[in-house]
Amino acid sequence: MKLRANIKIVAVAICTGLVLQFSSCKIEDTINPNNPSLEGALSNATVDDLNNLVVGTESSMRNGLGTYLDDVGVVGREIIRFSGSEPRFTSDLLGAGSAVLDNNSFYTTIPWAARYRSVKNANILLSSVENTSLPTEVQKQAYRGFANTIKAYQLLLTANLYNESGIRVEVADPANLGPVIKRVEALASIAALLQTGFTQLNAAGATFPFQLSSGFTGFNNPDGFKKVNRALAARVAVYRGQYAEALIFLNESFLSLPGDFNTGVYHVFSGATGDQLNPIFLPLNATGEVRVAQSSFLADALAAGSANDDRLAKIARRSSPASQSGLSGTHDLAIFKSNADPVSIIRNEELILIYAEAKIQTGPAGFSDAVTAINRIRQGHKLGAYSGPLTQVALINEMLTQRRNSLFMEGHRWIDMRRYNRLNQLPVDRAGDDVWVSFPLPFSENAG
Amino acid sequence: MQKKNYYKLLMVFLFMPFAASAQITVTGTITDAATRTTLPGVSVMIKGSQSGSTSDENGKYSLANVNSNATLVFSYLGYVTFEAPATANLNVALREDRARLDEVIITGLATSLKRSNLANAVSTVSAQELVGTTNPQTVDAALSGKVPGANITSNSGAPGGGFSVRLRGVTSVNGNTQPLYVVDGVFIDNSDISPGLNAVTAAAGGGNPSNQDNATNRIADLNPDDIENIEILKGASAAAIYGALASSGVVIITTKKGVSGKTKVSFRQDFGQATLSKKLGIRSFTAATAAASYGPTGLALFNQAGGNVYNYENEMYGNKGFLTTSNISLSGGDDKTKFFVSGLYSDEEGIIRSTGYQKSSVRANIDHRISDRFNISITTNYINSATDRGLTNNDNAGVTFGVALSSTPSFINLYPNASGLYPNNPFAASNPLQTRDLSTNNEKVNRFIGGLTLNSFLQQNSKSVTKLVFRGGADYYNLKSTALFPRLLQFQSGGNGTDGASIQGNTNNLNLNVSAFVVNTLNAFNNKATFNTSAGTTLENFNQESILNIATILTGSQTNVSQAAALKAIQTQIPRKNRGLFFQEEINFDDKLILTGGLRLDKSSDNANVSEYQLFPKASAALNITNLGFWNFESISQLKLRAAYGESGNFPPFGSKFTELVQSNIGGSGGVLISTQQGNDNIRQERQKEFETGLDLAFLQGRVSFEGSYYQKSASNLIFANNVPTSSGFSTQIINGGTLRNRGLEFGLNIRAVETPNFRWSSNTTFWTNKSVVTRLDVPAFNLGGFGNTLGTFRIEQGKIATQIYGIDNGKVVALGNAEPKFQMNFNNDFTIYKNFTFAFQLHWKHKFDNINLTELLTDLGGTSPDFDGDDNGDGVSNAAERVGQLGVSARPFVQDAGYLRIREAGLYYNLPVNLLRSAFNNAVSGVKVGFSGNNLYTFTKYKSYDPEVSNFGGTGFSTGVEVTPFPQSRRLFFHLTVEL
Repeated sequence: MKLRANIKIVAVAICTGLVLQFSSCKIEDTINPNNPSLEGALSNATVDDLNNLVVGTESSMRNGLGTYLDDVGVVGREIIRFSGSEPRFTSDLLGAGSAVLDNNSFYTTIPWAARYRSVKNANILLSSVENTSLPTEVQKQAYRGFANTIKAYQLLLTANLYNESGIRVEVADPANLGPVIKRVEALASIAALLQTGFTQLNAAGATFPFQLSSGFTGFNNPDGFKKVNRALAARVAVYRGQYAEALIFLNESFLSLPGDFNTGVYHVFSGATGDQLNPIFLPLNATGEVRVAQSSFLADALAAGSANDDRLAKIARRSSPASQSGLSGTHDLAIFKSNADPVSIIRNEELILIYAEAKIQTGPAGFSDAVTAINRIRQGHKLGAYSGPLTQVALINEMLTQRRNSLFMEGHRWIDMRRYNRLNQLPVDRAGDDVWVSFPLPFSENAG
Repeated sequence: MQKKNYYKLLMVFLFMPFAASAQITVTGTITDAATRTTLPGVSVMIKGSQSGSTSDENGKYSLANVNSNATLVFSYLGYVTFEAPATANLNVALREDRARLDEVIITGLATSLKRSNLANAVSTVSAQELVGTTNPQTVDAALSGKVPGANITSNSGAPGGGFSVRLRGVTSVNGNTQPLYVVDGVFIDNSDISPGLNAVTAAAGGGNPSNQDNATNRIADLNPDDIENIEILKGASAAAIYGALASSGVVIITTKKGVSGKTKVSFRQDFGQATLSKKLGIRSFTAATAAASYGPTGLALFNQAGGNVYNYENEMYGNKGFLTTSNISLSGGDDKTKFFVSGLYSDEEGIIRSTGYQKSSVRANIDHRISDRFNISITTNYINSATDRGLTNNDNAGVTFGVALSSTPSFINLYPNASGLYPNNPFAASNPLQTRDLSTNNEKVNRFIGGLTLNSFLQQNSKSVTKLVFRGGADYYNLKSTALFPRLLQFQSGGNGTDGASIQGNTNNLNLNVSAFVVNTLNAFNNKATFNTSAGTTLENFNQESILNIATILTGSQTNVSQAAALKAIQTQIPRKNRGLFFQEEINFDDKLILTGGLRLDKSSDNANVSEYQLFPKASAALNITNLGFWNFESISQLKLRAAYGESGNFPPFGSKFTELVQSNIGGSGGVLISTQQGNDNIRQERQKEFETGLDLAFLQGRVSFEGSYYQKSASNLIFANNVPTSSGFSTQIINGGTLRNRGLEFGLNIRAVETPNFRWSSNTTFWTNKSVVTRLDVPAFNLGGFGNTLGTFRIEQGKIATQIYGIDNGKVVALGNAEPKFQMNFNNDFTIYKNFTFAFQLHWKHKFDNINLTELLTDLGGTSPDFDGDDNGDGVSNAAERVGQLGVSARPFVQDAGYLRIREAGLYYNLPVNLLRSAFNNAVSGVKVGFSGNNLYTFTKYKSYDPEVSNFGGTGFSTGVEVTPFPQSRRLFFHLTVEL
């Protein structure tokens, strides 16, 4: 009897507890208090929502840019990167001793992840546009043209770094990623994507429904942006060896032989909230974190009698040399004067050199046009006119030299030497160092 | 049964105790059976009732109105409980409970059991063990080595602590691995909150808060002297009743309570000194080595130095930190009200100048018996603490002390000139002396912890007691972090850095927990069986909100965040709500067989499905063979077999279910960018299942006792951040996908080796070992928590040790080590000599575990390793050249055995003779104790850095044991004076 009384008391208490639990203590499914959700952006996005994605996409192109340029610049022997706390710039990237590139270290993983994050944002923009009725069809084409062009550019940078290891192009569905495709196929897909973007921009009216940063000044409308698209298409065309096509694209781009070398589009930087600072900038004579020019940049120019070349101002003599791990440098990288200086995406100087390259490659008929372009570069940088032989071999050498100096540390040297099979001509500072051909496919890509 | 009858019956129960006849008054004296000294404060209770008394300062007690056929129960912490029939004059001698058989262990949310009846190996650390030998840095530091089954690692030697506590192995990959801390029923917060140093160190890239900032974990706020004891529930089999908060174990901290009788005042003053526990030395240069390491510039500077040697190890880590702790406590009360009040002030300087830790704490614990029906206890604690932790650990900007020093040779002068200007360091991005002297990294905490327990006796008689327990607790703190890096620092001026940085964070944390239980104790079958039934409901609301302001491009020497040209703000809100229900039944068959069963139901806002209940069962059995009728071996006083099983959960990390867009701006326009973590709509709790079994033995009246346990716990639906192919745009997704199993053994041996009036020696030896294996993994192997294969990283891989360290080795990626010790042993010894001298020491041995030592790599590359020019293996290639030559080839040189044997604590005390004090102070002073002690006195290790206990990534997750130029550990020596009134 007593036992039953106890059971009863306990039972009453349990019931009270249960009532408390199920009535007053219900947990509401909370929304994320910190950030907007992807789902929100994907359905019935307003023009403002879409514009936020556009801005985020442009902004994100700068993520990991420092690592990308260090990778390309160090492997392409443009600079040597010293860091007090990061030994792998001088070991792995230069192939010191038996060191090799690792598929799961920062120099491999960061640029890949950052570029695909921009691609993802562009893909989100593309699907948001399909799932909303708020913008007009013309406006939708503007978003699509922008997204596809940026996507193609981001994939191009990835293809540059991972080269024969391959890249993925179809990445819209995380659960169903497309295959890893090698360089040739990858560049073809990128060219096709640029073409799609170009077609869309053609139907995008006269103005963009969104605002790009000052890095796109002059190209901030469908007509201007198309020229950027074609400039990138020209770059891809020469990478693919399709020189005739490159000339067609150049025609529709912002190429201007007499024009300012620096006309073009840029990544801009500032210290404003949520913005970024130029990741490559280091002050002159810095210690600890240092980017010095590989010594042949200056030495080769002097040997060629180009001491007057104003492009040598891209480096500056240090008050004392920097050295580490058997490497040293006497000149700092000096292309940026402050941490708010812009970094180029593509500019007229490169287009002039693409024009020269395409003319050289399409046969002797184009040699004189090529020389005109090369002289525009040479004379624009306080050098005399080209006086070498008018042979394809000599002109290619000259074109590559001008590309090296004009586009110093803009992410080209390694790729140029590679596509002309000249990686063995890159200077090697220490016995046993290696010049890599491709970065390995990141470890995470093997994760199924 | 009719309702009316039931109430009548209840009334009968309630008034039965008052209906007894023949009342007597019992008086007597209570003494220690071994030493014959009197024992004050012993509780004397009439069995089966709530009434009783306690012995006074002379060990005398008196209890009126005792039923002549009642039984009295004498209990005193640390002594074996004694029962005797009531007689008018009853003198009692209590035996010390060295085997701790009578210790009361909390086994449920509102129930407890005697240790001798326990089915789990619950470790208890008493106040004496915690703070009796020396003055610990923090509560978690004081537990080091003292808890079998625990792997406690200090993250650095910075003042204010920073610890990782893992109970019975790693239990989760990305979920929480730190135990739940419950102080007097209040679920307290133990976060480590990043001060946002990443904005200058770029340790994690970008500007986000990082876990490489060497933050303090907030358990450091507790005053170790307030603690009566700490119970550690090491896994689900003991802690299932805490549900999904308990998978990493529960640390139950009980603070001191007042004892009725004369008010006791105790004052303790400690003075001490902290010094660098181990010096590594510096490299000595010649013109040739300076030129070889630093080129012509280095040679010129070497010659310029004219033979001057600047020992920056001594300069940076050589501060003799002054330590002072003052602690005062008052306790007392009467039959109705008891109180314990304490105050603490401690001020500790670090071994790096301008670092330190100050803490003030006030506590008031009050127990009040409102009537026979109701009693209430209230605990309150206010803490104010301030920590200056310097700038240490990894960075990618060359600005932390250690990274800067790693490339700074001893021939360069970095000291300020006569006008106080610091020269630029030509060998690193920063001048570490300037950084130390001019920058600030401060955390200030104001914290209040309050708890309330209300017991209402719904019904009580000699057979049954039913009470309703209501408990509420709140833990609120505000943490303000201030990190200031003025413009004139080398790395903030001349275009370097951000032209000054003022990083100010503000975190508010409020943990609320409320619970209500009904507890019934029923003596049935002629007192041959006791049923202890409890049921209740719990509610926890945890809310943490942080705002971090990062101001850069400062105006002049201003530090106000509004005096800046660029300002970035990061706000993080972490609200979590949990609801639970539980039921538990304990059945004790005459202390012979004790069975327990329990159920817990949990739901949480962190689950993808917020309204789904998770069920966590537990069951256990303990069989006291010595209490069975046939047992007649006098020498063996206890032989107990026990087994327990339980389940608990682990919540997914906050935000796992969301796919977010984060801010990404450019050119003054606001933009959104997909976050790197892919949301998971199906994320569920981790499920931990633990089985434990063991054997407890006590011989020779408890002079020798042994405890052995074996456990297996496995966590299924393992939560981890799965690396997804980053071409998806995402880097990780929190998923459930694997099983992690821990198996281990724990042994304890307690011996009172010598017990004579003039010499007593007791020793406590524990041994424990644990092995974690990933038994199932639904995704391919992945790395976490290191700096990649080249430098060594942890790798989760099916069928492999969970704590394995992986790295490249001659073209292959192979296992190079294991972060978990092969075994640990702890050896505690207490000596009492001539009654008044006590000596105690603790030896702690962690055998064979590996760290990833990247400090040595950095000093090798920077040309400053002390053994740089040596040639240990005599092959003609210098040590540093040999090690650096392996970079990119093998990570083996960085994975180093960190096993150690440490004299962790030692203390020698002298109690002034009581008679002397009585005559000298006219009975005003009842005790004076003086002593010396030390902490971290000496460490035997092969590990080639300051200390094998280190963690660049703090205490969370897997990544302890990665070393990148940490704040070195210190040795602490103290003088103590305690006065008791």
